[in-house]
Amino acid sequence: MSGHECDDALTNLYQYLDREIEASTTEVIRAHLEDCSGCLKSFDFEARLQIVVRERLAEDVPDEFLQRLRDAIAREAASS
Amino acid sequence: MADQANFEQDAMQYARQLYSAAMRMTRNPSDAEDLVQETFLKAYRAYHTFEEGTNLKAWLYRILTNTYINKYRKDSRRPSEVDLGSVEDLYLYRNIGSEESAEAARTTEDRVLDGLVESDIKKAVEDLPENFRLPVLLADLEGFSYKEISDILDIPIGTVMSRLHRGRKAMQKSLWEYAVKRGLVPEGAERP
Repeated sequence: MSGHECDDALTNLYQYLDREIEASTTEVIRAHLEDCSGCLKSFDFEARLQIVVRERLAEDVPDEFLQRLRDAIAREAASS
Repeated sequence: MADQANFEQDAMQYARQLYSAAMRMTRNPSDAEDLVQETFLKAYRAYHTFEEGTNLKAWLYRILTNTYINKYRKDSRRPSEVDLGSVEDLYLYRNIGSEESAEAARTTEDRVLDGLVESDIKKAVEDLPENFRLPVLLADLEGFSYKEISDILDIPIGTVMSRLHRGRKAMQKSLWEYAVKRGLVPEGAERP
């Protein structure tokens, strides 16, 4: 990786992956990634990491808890 | 204005997600259940103030995070800054990539991404100081936009971005340490 295009791409990496960037900048980055395998690999890794993090952070919710929650709301509704 | 009679039907679909976030905030199931239940009861009582057609999920998360901050954030011994020292951008990727061939690096990347178990990732998030943990959770677990996170936490978007950036870096530092500990990276790749 080298050059200011790579630096620019890296600076915007998270905003790009988070889809928080203007369409014109997205296009510039996309074009750069087509030309630069170094940046493409690093973007690809970060994107895969984001998916792994999201999947493995999720928690199984006990069904009994969901029922207790419904009951608590029902009690609140009855008392008000 | 929303009708209280519809609350359960409208809001229960978010209970699972709120529970996941609450687990990463409180770090234990019993506090997480209390936190989610308190959030839902507060939300139920205030549902007549919720403007129908606006973002219900973000509204619930705002109540969740405020309840959490008021109730549980009393442990001031925990650090409020992340020590990033010499942690650079793409920390995990660059450490893995210090291998000779691109193929070997790709193999190690796959091994690390497959081999980091749930508890490693959960711990990496839970160990972040609060200021960083909440934005990281809202973005990386829930997929909220920067603007939504800014509204939920009542902090400027620029602050959301910098905390996300630093929080993710700190997470990568922990994840690298877990990868080394689990033997997912080749001998000798460990940095001092």
